[in-house]
Parts: sequence; structure tokens; C-alpha cells
Amino acid sequence: MSIVRLALWLLRRERASGEWRVLLLALVIGVGSVATTGFLADRMQRAMRDEGARFLGADLLVTSPRPVETWPANALATSQALEFASMVSRGDAFQLATVRAVDAAYPLRGSVRIADRAFAPGAPQPAQPPTGAIYVDQQLLPLLDAAVGDTVQIGEARFRIAGVVAEEPGQLGGVFGLAPRVFLRADEVAATRVLQPGSRLTYLYQFAGDPQATAAFATALKPALDDTQRVIGGRDGVENLRDGFDKLDTYLQLTALISLLLAVAAIAIAAHRHARRHYDQAALLRCMGATTAQLRTLYLTQFLLLGLLGSLVGVALGAVLQHLLAGLVLPDTLATLPRLGPAPVFIALASGLTALAGAALPALMRLIRVPPLRVLRRDLPPLPLSAWIGASLSGAVLLALIAAYAGDITLVAGFVGALAGLGTVLAVLARLALVAGRGVQRLATGPLRFGLSQLLRHRFDSTLQLGAFTLALFLVALLALVRSDLVDGWRQQLPPGAPNHFLVNIAPEQQAEVGQWLTERRLEASRLYPMIRGRLVEKNGQPIAATLPPEARDSNTLRRELNLTWAAELPANNQILAGRWHGAQVANDISVESGMAERLDLAVGDALGFQIGDQTINARIGSIRSVKWESMQPNFFVIFSPGALDTLPASYIASVYVPPGTHVMPDFVKTFPGITVLALDTLIGKLEAVFARIIGAIQLLLGFLLAAGMAVVVATLLASLDARQQEAVLLRTLGAERVWLAKGLLAEFLALGVLAGLLASACAEIAMAVLADRLFDLPGRVHPWLWLALPTAGALLVMASGWLTTRHITRVPPMQSIRAMG
Amino acid sequence: MTPPDSARFPIVQARALSQRVPTADGELVILSDVTLEVKAGDTLAITGASGSGKSTLLGLLAGLDLASSGDIHLLGQRLADLDEDARARLRAGRVGFVFQSFQLLPALTALENVLLPLELAGRTDARERAAHWLARVNLSDRAGHTPRQLSGGEQQRVALARAFATDPAVVFADEPTGNLDADTGARIIDLLFELNASAGTTLILVTHDATLAARCARRLHLVAGRVQSTVSA
Repeated sequence: MSIVRLALWLLRRERASGEWRVLLLALVIGVGSVATTGFLADRMQRAMRDEGARFLGADLLVTSPRPVETWPANALATSQALEFASMVSRGDAFQLATVRAVDAAYPLRGSVRIADRAFAPGAPQPAQPPTGAIYVDQQLLPLLDAAVGDTVQIGEARFRIAGVVAEEPGQLGGVFGLAPRVFLRADEVAATRVLQPGSRLTYLYQFAGDPQATAAFATALKPALDDTQRVIGGRDGVENLRDGFDKLDTYLQLTALISLLLAVAAIAIAAHRHARRHYDQAALLRCMGATTAQLRTLYLTQFLLLGLLGSLVGVALGAVLQHLLAGLVLPDTLATLPRLGPAPVFIALASGLTALAGAALPALMRLIRVPPLRVLRRDLPPLPLSAWIGASLSGAVLLALIAAYAGDITLVAGFVGALAGLGTVLAVLARLALVAGRGVQRLATGPLRFGLSQLLRHRFDSTLQLGAFTLALFLVALLALVRSDLVDGWRQQLPPGAPNHFLVNIAPEQQAEVGQWLTERRLEASRLYPMIRGRLVEKNGQPIAATLPPEARDSNTLRRELNLTWAAELPANNQILAGRWHGAQVANDISVESGMAERLDLAVGDALGFQIGDQTINARIGSIRSVKWESMQPNFFVIFSPGALDTLPASYIASVYVPPGTHVMPDFVKTFPGITVLALDTLIGKLEAVFARIIGAIQLLLGFLLAAGMAVVVATLLASLDARQQEAVLLRTLGAERVWLAKGLLAEFLALGVLAGLLASACAEIAMAVLADRLFDLPGRVHPWLWLALPTAGALLVMASGWLTTRHITRVPPMQSIRAMG
Repeated sequence: MTPPDSARFPIVQARALSQRVPTADGELVILSDVTLEVKAGDTLAITGASGSGKSTLLGLLAGLDLASSGDIHLLGQRLADLDEDARARLRAGRVGFVFQSFQLLPALTALENVLLPLELAGRTDARERAAHWLARVNLSDRAGHTPRQLSGGEQQRVALARAFATDPAVVFADEPTGNLDADTGARIIDLLFELNASAGTTLILVTHDATLAARCARRLHLVAGRVQSTVSA
């Protein structure tokens, strides 16, 4: 019989005796949780990407001032549109509009909703109007004193207004300077004769297809484009969502990583136990003439087969559970979640096998190095020679696995460093806690005293168990904390009553009137901010472009006109990061948004020159401030001190919250025909739906981590089962009652659980303080409830799983156990 | 190498054998200057009190461990020249073992435990031979039972079948009756010598049981790691 066949034969025989159960269970739960996390993360990420694409109208958008003739080879769906500014007139009224001439395929993703009157929800339909017709923004109607069905003039052609654009992709991108939208057929642009040589045009090329093809296309495309052309991916669809996506990505990575580590811990403990239980077998085989190579083949075959089996079952379990749970928590969105992709299946399988390899390697190496003399001297341990090789090998394997999961090298380094530090601190703390337990033990009596003395007697095992429990509790708690802080953060960004309409182009003399109109209707509005459009041209007397490295000159901030304002009071969603807020006092001081300052290398004290109309206004940077762009409030890159821009013509902007079902805005449009109303309520509704999905999914993932944490606890307890059984048998033989033994065991688990909970609380608070700041940009805070919740959860968890795994110890008659131990 | 069927072929030769282990209190001498020779078909009992170095000597002679000094030839090969794997290959199929604690694999049935060394040695007739040897120890009816379902005596009979199944040149037995009551022990001894005689195997056993030792052709008595007397029947 070949050694491989012998391995399979032994494996089959041991399966019947349940010998492999613990390791297989650890593998199934471990891979299952990794798979579930991976599957859900994959589906969520694809759902988010689709969501972004719906906002953008495509998976990929290329904008160019010139037509692009040649594209890298691709099999993607395409759509082409042309955007230009043009006057639209009706009788005496005229208005500048942004005309988008579209083909039949536009948009490739998401939908355009067209309504038959202003402020109606409308129905999704192609953006390309029928021949001789256009679709217009609702704000264009009062400006032209027109209604649906009326005819307007664009250049030399006349068009019938066939409908109102209630919603279109990409609506949120830079709403403030935008002239009202007009959708026109691409084949009717020529008839208008508005395009002249030198006209400012934007060519919009949309692409959509499967993610790999799109990504490959984007990569091939980038080098072919020049400074004036831009590629926008699906995830950039809405700037307000990008931050949410990034945080979710980081969170998913962290979740996958942590569930993987918990799985590895469970597998390592189970593999160690498994190897220990096979030392005698290995020694016997050596006695019978098996060589190291034969033993290696034998045990590798077994581990590999087991790894495959456990991983496959784990993957299947993950696939089923993620589907069930997604349906349970997100019933409405299940249908819209993309189907399971093949990539995470392979990733989960590979992770399972790699985790097993990494986790089981030291145990396996010890197993094949068992000295044959062990058959005569049972206490003989395997040769320790290559232990460090095994440890460093498995360390390298696990590091590679972590790197593959985290992707980001800083995240890997930070995580591994933190884990190493944590391991050391935990070992020391666990020891100290056990020493403290000695004091408690002196005061205790009966089974409690016995339980505690058990804990102290097996100091090595207890430290290991305490460390493993603490690690599992800590990691789960950490993710729960990040989750709740993240969710709170999102909720704060979009609180109920966040503004859902913007009022743009309010004339200075209309301020009081508009304010009064809003107050009469009890609508909550933001302050009215003056708004002036200007371009940043100089820094410290030099042209701004000359002060920047070539790659930074492409910045959007330089290419487009900025919305400038002045204010004495710092807006609510802004925070000063450097310098001092100018207040009402300092003339010609400005406050610059931190992102812009970073991109353009601006610092407090720099003098900037702005081109506003035909004037150049100079100002000194007095402060740098952060802005919550997703707050739905009027936000500005640059805020001047009062007095600097007063003489320039400004219009005003405000945001207002209109409760759902309140139909006051049509009345507003009639009262103030010159003021543009941007309705964002549908968009906000969508944003809320996206965040609700993210939050639901994160709750799901957390559930799975709990399962992985439980696996570690169970694996650790099972690893100590043999020793516990031996002791219990001895004690029962010596006359200990069953109830007394049971109480002792429970006391031991109680102490372990509470200690682990306390240690985990401390670790979670420290880690959270670091993570919140570094990774998630959340404010740090203390979580008092954690200190009660974790020890309680720890005690219950350890006692429950401990009791389930060890309860039969107290039930088996001593004689049977003694015989079983041979 | 002389064929093992030659009656006078030396199976084991040990010369000036010493075993020392470092301890916290200095070096501990377990065996000192042991010289012996066991020829094919011989039966040798190594006797002595607990801690006299009996099992250590057995382990060294079987190539399970290496001596601190001195020379051992097993089946014509100098053990010091062989590494762990080469010593394992030397044992494969040619050396049998019987242990005090039986050392049966708990997951395997009686038949499978006997089968194991045959499979490992790559014998094509493994299953027939295992069944034959199980019959020799009168356990055919317990072939499908696991060790847990067998009594101590039955377990040791399975171990005997396993030791002889590969037709080894030598069987090493370490306190084969140590875990058994007197009656069962006596029956196991009878069986062991019967199998040994019929197979013409060399037998080296460690025991502190004088009756058992008396059944061997030669006896070597150890006191504190030194050979105190050698007796030939």
C-alpha cells in the first residue's frame, strides 16, 4: 500500500471514531465565517458599485473638450453625449441652459425620470426625447414662463417641451453653478447651428460592462488621455457617497481580516490538539519503520484532504448562510443585491487551505519529528529543533494571507504590529490576572476555590485560554464599536430633517422676502450665503500653476470657477484645523477648505489672488478648515471675511428642509421665478437607502464574527479536554461528587470569562482610540457600557461553550474513563 | 550481510555501551559499559529493578535512540552510521515490538492494527497475513473490535500478532506483562514463547518478573546501569 493510501485509510478509520471532528469543525466554522464575510462583502461592494454607477449613469465616464477618435479595444456598452451652454428663449424671456445632446443609449446605468409637470415624481424613460422635442429642468419653466407642451427656441431651431426632468444621473456633481438642464437629441444639434468653431464643448463618453473589463479598459485608457480629459469611475458617481464607500471598504477589509485571524486561531489550536493526540501514532509508525518523508506525506495528505473538505463545507455553509441572513436582514434589497461572484469562492477556499497550512504547520512539523523512543517513554516530547522554523514559516504564510486580504500595506503593517504588541501585552496581562486570582482564591471556598486553583495550577494552559478568549472577545468588540461609531457617524451626516432643497440665485434684494416666505411656512432653512464665482489665479504673487508640480496642475480647483462667499460666523459643519477664524474683524482674510489647501499646497499666511469678473482680489489665508461635504448644507471652498467682496455683484444661496408631502415649492417657484430650486429629496432618499443597506450588511458580518469567536473558544476548550477528563476521573475516583465537580468547572469558566472580558474591554478601548482616528476619521470616545457588556458576555459565552464541551466529563463513570484512557 | 536464517548470525551486538543525559544536577549516567551479543534465534531477558536502565538499553538496541558512547550493530548494520530515517528503514518489516501499554491505535480494529506494519512494509498479502496472525492468537472472532472493546489480555494478544506478522528477524518486548494480572500475564508469556519458537524469531525482552525471565535462554541483570550478571540456561 502506498503511503498516500495508508494516509487515506487511517483518515477514514479515524473519521469513524470522531478523531477529526474538532479540527474539521474549526475549519468549517473558520472558513465558513471567512466565506460569509467575503461573499457578503463582495456582494455589498458590487451593490455599492452599481449604486455609484446608477448615480453616474455609467460604470465609467470620460469627459473631453474634444471628440476622442480612438479608444483602447473593448467590448463595453457605450453611449455618447455632447454638452454645451446655450440660450433657450421663449418670447421675450431667455435663459442660459446646459444642453446635453444624447443618443438612444443614454444613460447606460440608472435611469432618467421624466414628468409631465414640475415637481411630479415622473417615470423612468430614455433621456433622448422624441424628434423635435426636448426635456427640461423644472426650474427652466418659470424662468421662461413656459409649461410642458410649449415651444422654445434654441439657436435656430424650435423645440416642444415634451417633459420635465425629475431626476437624472450625476445630479449632485457641482450643482451650484449649473445652468438648468435641457435634454436634446444628438441628431438635432446640427439644426440649432449654435456650435461654432471655438465653442466650449464637453464630450461625454459613457461605458458599461462587467467590472474586470471596465477596470482593464480604465487602465488602458489612462495613459492615452491628456490633462484636459477626465476618467470618472462608477464609485465617483456622487461625491457625497465616496466617503461612505471608502469607510465601508476599510470596514469590510478589517472584518474579513479579523474573521480570518479568528479562524486561524481556532484552526491553530485545533491542529495543535490534533497533533498532540497523534504523537503516539507517529512514534509507533516510526518504530515500525516509517521514515520522516513517509510521515510527512502521510500527515500532509491527511491535513490537505481535511483542509479541502473543511473549506468546501465552509464555503457551502457560507454561501447558504449569507443568502439566508441577507434575506432575513435585508429582505427588500435581496433582489437587488448582485448574485454571488466566483472570485470570493476561490478566495475563501484558498484562504481556508492557506490558513490551515499556516496554522497547522508548527503542529505538523512537531508531529513528524516525534522520536520513536516515545513508545517506551510516553513523556518524551517531539524534537523542538525546528519549532522556530515552523513558526516563522507559518508566520510568513499568514502574513502573506493578511496582506492579500488587507491590500493596503500600511493597514497590514499596522495590523500585524498591533497584533504582535497585543499578543505580548495579553500574555503579560493574563499572567498578572492569574496572579491576582490567587488572592481571590484564598478567600473562596468549596468548588469555587477548587475551580480557581485548577485555573492557577495549569498556568500555561490558562494563559493560552485566557489569551485566546480575550483575543476573540476583543476583536468582536472592536468591530462592534467601529460599527456603532461608523453608523452613528453616517446617521449624523444625514440626520432626519437634513436640507433637501437648495435655493440658488437669490438676488440681494430678495433676501428679506425669501426669508419671510420661508418663516411664514415654518420651513427650516440654512443661513443665506452670498455667492460669487471666481477663479484662483495667484499664490504669493506667482501664477498658481507655476507653484505646483506638473501632476498637481490638473486640479479641478484650478480649472473651474469656485463658489466664493463671505461670512463672519463659521458655518456649523466646518471646523478650523489651522490658523484662526477671521470673524467679523480682519479685512481680506480668507479661510480655505483643507482638501483644497492640501491639493494646492496652501498654508496659513499665503497670499492668494482671485479673478472675479475683470477684477483681481487679493487675500491672505487666515485659516484652514475642514468641511463636511455630505452635510447637504451650502458648503464653500473659500470663505472671505466680511467686507472684502461686498462691492461685487453676488447672488445668495440657502438650503431648506421641506417635509415630505408638503407641496409648497411649486408656490415658491411661482412667487420667485428668478430663483432656482434644486430638489434633492429623491437623491437624499437614495443616499439613506444606501446607508441603510450598508448598516444592515455590517450587522450581518458582525454576527459571523461572533460565530468565528465562538469557534476559538470551543477549540481552546476542546484542546484542554483530555487533561480535564483525566483530572475529573481522578477526582471522582477520590470521592468528588458530580455536582461538586460541575460547580468547580463552572467556577473556572466564570473566572476565565470575566477576566477575558475585562482584558478585552481595555484592549478594545485602546485600539478603538487609535483606529477611530487613523482609519475611520471618527472622534475618539470612551464606551462605559463595554466594561459591563464584555465581562458578562465573556462569562456567559465561556460558561455556555465550556459546559457544552466538558459536561460529559462529570457524567462518565470513572472506570469507563480510566479504561478509555488506556 | 549474512542471511538471517543462519542460526549463529549475530542479530544484535553491543560493545562498551554508555548512556548519559545532562540534568540540572550534572550528568546522569543511565547505562555504563554494557557489552552483549544476541544471535539469531536467541531469547534474552534484560532484568533489573525500576530505574536500572532496562528500557533505555532496549531502546538503544532497537535503534530507537542513539547511545552516548559505544557501538551497536543491529542486523549487521552499525547504528551510529545511520541517521534516524535509515534506522527506521532498517526496522521496517524486520523488527517487531511488544509494549507494556500495548500501543494499539484506538481508531483501528484488531485486524487493522495487525495490518498496519504489513501495509507500511508494502506487503501485497497484508490482509491475509493479518487475518492469519490474528487467528494464531485466537482472536479471529474479535477482528472487527476496536481496542476499547477488548480486555487487556486481548489487546496484548493483538499486539503480539502485530509484532510477529511481518516475520521479523527480532522482536523487542518491553515489560509485556506489566499491565496484566498474573493469570493473563502467564497466558501471554506462553503465547509469546510459542510464537517465537515457531517463527524462529530472536526475542529480546525487558522484565522485572523472574518467572518470565527464567523462560529465556539468557538473562542479563542490570544494577544502576551496569551489567551485574549474565546467565545462560
